[in-house]
This record gives sequence, structure tokens and C-alpha cells, in this order.
Amino acid sequence: MNDSMYAQWLALACGAFLLAGVLVLWRRDLAAIVRLFALQGVALGAMVVVLGLRQGSVHLVAVAVGVGALRAGLLPYLMRRALDTPPPGNGTAGEEARETRPLVNVATSLLAAAVLALVAYAVSQPIVRLSPGPATQAVPVALTVLLVGFFVLVTRRRALSQVVGFLLIDNAITATAFLTTSGVPLVVELGVSLDVLLAVLVLQVLTTRMRAAFGGTDLGELRELHD
Amino acid sequence: MSGDLMSGLIATVLQVVLVIAGAPLLVGLMRQVRARMEGRAGAGVPQPWRDLRKLLRKEPTEPRDTGWPFRLAPLVLAGTALVVAAVVPLVSTASPLDSAADLFAVTALLALGSVALALGGLDTGTAFGGMGASREVTVLALVEPTILVSVFALSVRAGSTNLGAIVNVTEADPMRVLSPASLLAAVALAVVTIAETGRIPVDNPSTHLELTMIHEAMVLEYSGPDLALIEWASAARLTVLLGLLGSLFLPWGVATAGTGALAVLIGVAAFAVKTAALGVLLAVGEVFMAKLRLFRIPELLAGSFLLALLAVAASFFLAGGA
Amino acid sequence: MNVPGTLLTVALGLCLATALLAPAVPARIRPALSGLGTAAAGAVGAAAGGAAMAGHAWSAWLPDLLPLAGVRLALDPLGGLFVAVTGGVAVCAGVYGIGYARHGLSGRVVQATLPLFVASMLLVPAAASVSTLLVAWELMAITSLLLVLAEHGRRTAVGGAGLWYAVMTHLGLIAILAGLAGLAAGAHGEAFDQLRAAHLPPLARDAVFLATFAGFASKAGVVPLHAWLPRAHPEAPSHVSALMSAAMVNMGVYGIARVGLDLLRGSSEGGAPAWWWLLVLAAGGVSAMYGILQAAVSADLKRLLGYSTTENMGLVLMGLGAAGFFATRGAPRLAALALVAALLHVVNHAAFKTLLFQAAGSVLYATGTRDLDVLGGLRARMPYTTALFAIGALAASALPPGNGFVSEWLLLQSLVHAIPASGVAGAVALPLAVGVVALSAGLAVATFVKAFGVGFLARPRSPEADRAVESPPSMLGGMGLAALCCAALALGPTVIVPGLARAVGTLLPGAAPATGPVSGPVSGPAMETVTLHLSGIAGTMSPLLIAAAVVAAIILLAGAVRMLAARGRRVARLWDCGVGPMSARMQYTATSFAEPLQRVFDDVLRPETDVDVTPKQESAYLVERIRFHALVPDRIERRLYGPVLAAVDAVGRRARALANGSVHRYLAYGFWTLTGLLILLAVIP
Repeated sequence: MNDSMYAQWLALACGAFLLAGVLVLWRRDLAAIVRLFALQGVALGAMVVVLGLRQGSVHLVAVAVGVGALRAGLLPYLMRRALDTPPPGNGTAGEEARETRPLVNVATSLLAAAVLALVAYAVSQPIVRLSPGPATQAVPVALTVLLVGFFVLVTRRRALSQVVGFLLIDNAITATAFLTTSGVPLVVELGVSLDVLLAVLVLQVLTTRMRAAFGGTDLGELRELHD
Repeated sequence: MSGDLMSGLIATVLQVVLVIAGAPLLVGLMRQVRARMEGRAGAGVPQPWRDLRKLLRKEPTEPRDTGWPFRLAPLVLAGTALVVAAVVPLVSTASPLDSAADLFAVTALLALGSVALALGGLDTGTAFGGMGASREVTVLALVEPTILVSVFALSVRAGSTNLGAIVNVTEADPMRVLSPASLLAAVALAVVTIAETGRIPVDNPSTHLELTMIHEAMVLEYSGPDLALIEWASAARLTVLLGLLGSLFLPWGVATAGTGALAVLIGVAAFAVKTAALGVLLAVGEVFMAKLRLFRIPELLAGSFLLALLAVAASFFLAGGA
Repeated sequence: MNVPGTLLTVALGLCLATALLAPAVPARIRPALSGLGTAAAGAVGAAAGGAAMAGHAWSAWLPDLLPLAGVRLALDPLGGLFVAVTGGVAVCAGVYGIGYARHGLSGRVVQATLPLFVASMLLVPAAASVSTLLVAWELMAITSLLLVLAEHGRRTAVGGAGLWYAVMTHLGLIAILAGLAGLAAGAHGEAFDQLRAAHLPPLARDAVFLATFAGFASKAGVVPLHAWLPRAHPEAPSHVSALMSAAMVNMGVYGIARVGLDLLRGSSEGGAPAWWWLLVLAAGGVSAMYGILQAAVSADLKRLLGYSTTENMGLVLMGLGAAGFFATRGAPRLAALALVAALLHVVNHAAFKTLLFQAAGSVLYATGTRDLDVLGGLRARMPYTTALFAIGALAASALPPGNGFVSEWLLLQSLVHAIPASGVAGAVALPLAVGVVALSAGLAVATFVKAFGVGFLARPRSPEADRAVESPPSMLGGMGLAALCCAALALGPTVIVPGLARAVGTLLPGAAPATGPVSGPVSGPAMETVTLHLSGIAGTMSPLLIAAAVVAAIILLAGAVRMLAARGRRVARLWDCGVGPMSARMQYTATSFAEPLQRVFDDVLRPETDVDVTPKQESAYLVERIRFHALVPDRIERRLYGPVLAAVDAVGRRARALANGSVHRYLAYGFWTLTGLLILLAVIP
């Protein structure tokens, strides 16, 4: 793989990774959000594959396949299952399957994402300057996704959107790790992946319990527990 | 010098003639595709030309209490469309008018046409005219940032906002089209094109329901030759914008300076094929999409602005990005 | 004394003579005398400025005119530019004022103050020492205040506007005074030449810049110091609004450019800090956005124009900030380009805002109202005013072939090409700046389509608008002159660019003139002279060719339609869905026109709407009447100034306890202060 090909494919994978991340803010439909998250998993896998091919490391390609399978396959599948579980009682499915009233409206969220991207670019310059290269230059992309993920956590109401926000942050951290150090040891990666899986399972259980208790997954309802 | 100038001039004239004659056919083609996909027979590709001929023969009427803004609006709309058709590099980048107007100026000229029509709508003093004008300028105002920031992204690569220069650079290095900056800018500009030409999901060109009309509400009082001009101008704007998208992001076949008559002919064919393909794509998309609520449109435009800004960002984020 | 000096002296002399003569002549001919004198002085002043821009420098020291320091005057190309703009606006306003003053404005004070106001604005850019500048500045503030208050007997809102203006303009003066005094103290002298040579420590330098920036920005109506502008401009007589909005606010820009780029030059050797100019850029961006957003939802024609001034000054400051920023980054060509864009926009804005305020004044004169919601139908009743307003609106909405488009085009070019030169801060700031310029341009289109389409077209919405008649010839003449300037600037910007480049040269020495006709290889010299070429950047645009092409296309199409289509037009009824003729009340109003935009920017504007339904007595379901009340408050003003005013009020109330009415107590305050000061002076070595 020559230099310009490598740079171009990496840029393309990073572009898809970024786009899938910010588009999560655009869509209201939770099913679409899950699909976008799966797409981002594919982009992350592709990114690691490109890095692996560049370094000629079979090990890295194998990790890439694993990462891709987890983030584009298993996690979206689990979320879809949580989504498809019919709500008990008279909860309307239409209301539940959409992020109807985010705390910050969609247009503003998108503009905020644009600003976050520029901020991410500005603050990651010191890291990029350490060892300029196509991979490190893509670190701002990962940082943008991290900030966007956090933004989703802060502003979205549905429990599932929160899970996606959390997973966006995790994807971003993974991407940063691969971009800066060309991957962490396999054991660490496995451990992190298991943690993530566990977290998602816990959140899924929580979501189900919430539905049972409140008839909805609006996290605003949790405030009632305080009183 | 004069040889170049001549071939450029010929290409420009060809391109204008092509837009004048082809624009209604493109609209006819798109309607035909929609009809077929919806299981109807359709009126045939040349139907818009038949409509124009019919309208031209009718007696023009003028509502009471309207004046020069109403009468001038169709002419300004069509005139700006004609100028834009002469300036943008659809067939050849060697247009002698290329240095007179860059992408900013082209955008502003198209806006001038929309403004003229909005004033024509307001001049009638009907609620419909006012409503259409109000919605049109709202969309126009919100579209502007996306266009200019996309232009920014494209000009980073070429070092110029002149259209000929941008297309030349892309043609010299076609792999650039696949870079994230270029792709993001392409999507952003595609959304903008849809908004500017009043297609689904922003506006429905075939609606006459007051809740949803934008463009149709403004032109409600026009009839006869005036309406013919407006219909033709809308088609021409659509053609030019789709052709421009084609030239900016699929620049293959566009003739450059110093190439001969064959290149110009190839340019004509490439322009026709690309524009028709994009038109068919748009028509197919429209079949599967519903119109957005008016107050969801800002979200769509904010999204396209985000894409445009990311395109700028990507051109300095990523090594292979620019 | 050379050409500019002589001309400027003549212009000032004319102003003074007019001001002295005006009170002495009978009221019948007073407006004509004052208007013609002002116009003549403006014309001579414009010539003086033009001569200075052509490269004839001039300076003078009159030691006896002011105690202590004397008066120092100088005209360089930069000062000349602002003198020329002021002169041009004064010509239009003077001619227009002759007719407008018949509206009950022929009193002695107003007619004598008008030429003095113009004189003060000619003096400010010509001042070459701190004290001269401050005296001219204060003269400008007082004369403009008197003119704002001219109609205080007729409307109660005038008093409030005058109070806001008086307080804010003097707070601004204090800030400028503090900043320049600090600079003069550091320089051991107050002539501008001494200030240029001064070397201030960084902290003092920053303080000087911030203080003067705040002061000058408040004069330019920059958000959040704009609160006086949308009050004072609508309440002043319209030719005074034109002078204030097209000439006086420019002095703020002049001050920022003069201090930041010129006077602090010696103190910032090795480069001024980039944050100064990013601050200017940000202030400009916020002003542009906020100003045009308020203008877009405003239904008061003159208030709309006032907010539009804030927007345009914001755009100018964006150019200025970008220029300073590029200069600190070692990109002198881009800096020069941005500065040319900013200065050209000052000129363009002066031309179209003069025209628009005067046209608004004509509407006010003819109908007695500035409320767009009750206007309409003026096209048939005031055809010339309508056409002139249309020219101004085209320019203000930055569409070709208007003149506003040219300067915004230059501004965008300077922003777009700067990425490689400007580092991380630029990479973040510039795309956002482009977005802001674009959105403000788009909203300006919406604003002026509303102002023109609702205010002038269709049918009258009230009896007042129905009774409107065309303005007298002098008013049309004043507007016509401004419209001619707009057209000239729109079609031939390449003519004045060399003068602007010289003005830029005084601020950014070493920068090549950024734009201008250069000989090119392509297509003949005739085309080259009308095309804007940017040196060092591949970007070209020709306003004249665009205009010619559009006109040619329109004529061509009109001819084709005439040949192909049926002849004759039949007047028909409006489509009314078969219910019968529609009343004028069914038209869209300015408020309803702006409603979609208001809804989109709901979070920023926070409009207050109030629906009051009165049911009939017999049944709650039968409605007697519905009253709808909508208000878009100036949110920044309310959030920022509200608490400050409340705090001042509270302090004032508490201070009242000190004054209990006893004369002995008041004398005691003086006594204790005096003794305290004496003791203090004795203690301090």
C-alpha cells in the first residue's frame, strides 16, 4: 500500500466514522440511530484494517475484525432487541421509538456539533504535532466524536440514545488508541470490549426496568426517585 | 489567444443553447421517471415544451393594483438563470465570462432571481403571494451559509473561487473527488440544490395546497407568457445547478482551455448524460420521500451547514482530506 | 497650505458661516440656507478628502486655537477617506433637509446645529492630536444629541432615546479619553506623531487598546454597546439619521483602525497580540448576526435600518479584525485585502444607508408613520421614492448588481484564502466567520425584501398610506444623489480602489495594494479595467460585466417574449377563491412575513406574544374579539443593561440617605473633604 493510497483510504474511513457520529444528532428515529452506530462500527473496523495493512500486521487485522464484529454486529443487535421489546401496558410504540423532545433542539445540536468539531481540531493540535502523519492527523476526528458522544449524553432523553452516546465515546477512545499507538495489546482491547459489552447489558436491563416502573424511557422521569 | 477565445465562446454559446432547449426536457424526463415509478403512464418527456408553447399563446393577464415589480419579476428570474447558464463551466472551463463571475457571484445571481420572484409575489397583495415570498426568503437566508462554506471547502483545494479553476484542478486529479472534504461538500451542496430548486423534501413542485406551497404560492397570479418564463426559468435553474454539481464533483468530460472541437462535443455529451443521470436520481429519490414540515426544514439546512463546515474542517483535519 | 488643507478650511468655514447665519434669517428661507450651506460644505469637504486620498498629505498646527496644546490637524489618505465619506453624506443630507425641514423643523437651534454637526465630523478624522480629537469628538456628540432631540415636543420616545444616547456616548468618551490619555502619558506628548513613536509596556498597551476599542465600538453601534443606536436613529429627523448612520458611526471604525493599526504601532513592534484582532473579529461577527436578526423581525422601518447599521458596522469590523489578524500572522497581502474590503464597505454602506434613511424619511413625511404593518401601496403613490428605495435595498441586501455585493465579495475572498497563513486560531475562526457573513447576507436579503415588498408594494394597509403623495423635489434630489453614488460604486469599484489602497498603505506599510485593474493575458484591456483582480490570489469578479449581462439577458428575453407570445395585457381580478374581492387587510404584513424567521431563531430572539380572547357575554364559545400582541425585545439589552440600570438605581436610592435636606450637612461634606484631602497630602511624602 503506497503512501497516497494509505492516506486516502484512512481519510475516507475517518470521514465515514465522523459522519456517522454527527448524524446521530440529526436523526430522531431510534432505529436509525442504532443503524448509524452500526455504520460507525464498520468505519472503525475499516480504519483499523487500513492501519493493519499499512503495517503488514495480521494481528491488527484480526483485532479489526473483532472490533468490527462487536461494534457493528453484536452491540447494535442488543440495542435493536431492547428497542423491539414491546412496551408494557398502554405505552405507545411510536412515542417510544423516537427521540421526540431532546433538551437541545436538533438544529442547534447540529450547529453545536460543528463548533465542537472546530474545538476538537484546535485542542488536538499539540498531539498532532508530536508525530505528524496521516494517522495522528486524524486524531481530531476521534476527539470530535468523543465530544459529540458526550453531547448526546447531556442532551438526549431516551435511555437508548444515552447508550449510543456512551458507545460513541467508547468508539472515539478506541479510535484514538489505534490512531496514536497503532493499537493497544490484544488483552487490553479484549478487556475493554468485555467491559463495554457488560455496560450495555446492564443498561439494557436498566432500560427494561425503567419501562416497567415508569412506562417510558425518558430519563427525566428518574428525577422522581429523588423526591 | 484568439483561437482559445473563439473555442471558449463557441462552447459557451453551445452551453447556453443546450440549457435553453434542454431544461424543459430534463423536467419532462424527471416527471416521466416519477410517473413510471408510481405506476402511471406519464405525459412524455417533451410535455413541458408543449406546456410552454401553450402558455406562450395565451393572453397575459395582470391582476389589478400590481405594477413594475410584478411585471419585471419573470424577466429578472429568467435573465439571471440565463447569465448563470453562460458563466458556469458546464461544457467547457474556458468560458470567456469565467473571470467575470465566480461561485459567490453565481450564488448571488441565483438569489437575485429568487428575490425578484418574491417581490412579484408580494406585489400582488394576496395572502398566498406574501406567504410564498416569506417562506422563499426564509429558505434562501438559511441556505446561504451552507453554500458559501461549501465554496470555502472547494476553494481550499483550488486556491480560487472561480469555477473554471476549481473544475480544472479536480479534472487534473480525479481521485480528489473521493476525499472526505469533497464528499461532504458534495452532499451539502446537493441538499442546497434541492432547497434552491424547490424539490422534495423542501418544497413540492406539484403541490397546490396552501399549507405546503413555497414556490407555487408566489407564482399563483402569473399566467400566459409570464408563467411560461417562470416555468422555463425554474427548469433552467434546476438544470444549471445539477450540471454544476456534475462539473464540480464528476468533472470528467468537461472541455478545458486549449482543447479542440472534439473536446467540446465530448463536453456536450458528458453534460447531457451527467445532468440527466442526476435528474433521474433526484426523481427516484423524490418517489421514496415525503415533504418535510416547513419548520423541519431549518434542521435539514443546519445539517447541511454542518456537513459543509466538516468539509472545510476535513480539508485540514486529514492528510488525504483536501 | 496645499490643496486638501485649503479645501478643508473652506469647508469648515462654510459650516461655521452657515451656523452663524441660519439663526439670523427668517424661518421661511432658513432651511434652504442651512441645507445649501451644509451641502456646499460637504462637497468641498469631499473634495478635500478626495485630494488627501489621491496622495496630497497635509498637516497644520494652530497653537492659539485651544489653550495648552493648540489644535493639530492632518489629512492622510485614511483620514481623507472618512472626510470624503462624511462630505458626500452631508451633500445628500443637506439637499434633502431643505424639503424635509418644512415638516416643522425650521427652528433656529436645529438649523444652526446641522452644519456644526457636519463640521465636527469633518474634524474628527482630520485631528492629529489627542486633545483635538477629543474636542472634535465631544462637539460631534453634543451637536448630534441636539439634533436627535429636535422632535422631542412631538413624541415622548424622543426624550428617552436622547437620554440613552447622551449617557452612552459620554461613557464612550470617557473610555476613549482614558485610553488615549494613558497612551499620551506613556509617549510624553499628545501629538499623533509622538504617540506612534512611543514604546508602551505590553500590559499598558493592552489596556489602551481595550479602552479605546470599547469607546469607539460604542460609537459604531457594536453589540453589546449598541443599545443607543436602535433608539436614537429612528427618533432623529431622517436626514440627521442618515448623517448619523452613514457618517457618524464610521468614526468608531476610524478610531479603532487609527489607534489599533497606527498609533499603537511603536508600542507593538514585533507584532500586536493576535487576540486583539480576534476580539475585533468576534465583536464584528456578533454584531453582524444580532443586528441583522433584529432587523429581520422589526416592523418599524427606521428601527430596522438602525439595526442594519449595526450589522454593516459588524461586517466592517470583521474585515478590520481579519486584517489586523493577518498582519500579526505575517500575511500582509491578505491583510491589505481584508482592509480594502472593510473600507470599501464603509463607503458602500454610507451610500446606501443615506439613501435608505432618506427614503424612510420621505415615507414618514408622506404618511406620518414608520410602521411597516400599516404601510403598503406606495409604489403607485410615491413612484420615485419607491424606485430609489429599491436601489438602496438592492445594495443593502448584498446582491449583484448592488454595491454592497462588491465589498462583501472582497471580504469573503480575504477570509476564504487565509487558511494556510493563519494557524489554528484562524482555522477555527475563519470558517465560522464565513458562515456568519453568509448568514447575515442571507438575512439581509430577507430583511430588505420585507422592507421593500411590504412597505412599498401591493395595496395600502391604512388610510394614512392611502393618502400618501410624492415628496418635494429637494428631497428627491437628495435621494437621487445618494442613488447615483450607489450606482457608481456598484458598477465602477475599480475606480476608487487605488485611493483605498493608499489608505491601507498608511495603516499597513509594506503591503502591496491588494486589488485593482492589472493587465492580464486573456481578453483585451477593456474587460480588464472593469474586473477586480486580487494580487496573489486567483479570484476575479467584474460587477460591471455582471450587471451588463443581466440587463442584456433581460432585454433579450423581453424581446423574445414580445416576438413569440401573444400581445396585449388584460387587467384581471386577483384570484380570491371565488369569495369576492379581497380587502387590503388580508395581505401579509411585516410581522407575518418575518414570522418563519422569528420561529427559526426562537431561541435567540425569545419573542413575547400575548393572545387575549374576549368571549361574548352570552356564551364562552362565541368570540367578541381577539387581541394579538407580539413584541420582540432586544434581549441583549434587557439581559445586560437591565441589571446594571437596576444596580445604579439601587445605589442612587441608597445615596439619597446622604442628602437629608440640611444645608449644614451639605456644607459639612465639603468641609470634611477639604480637610481630609489636606491631611492626606500632608501625610503622603
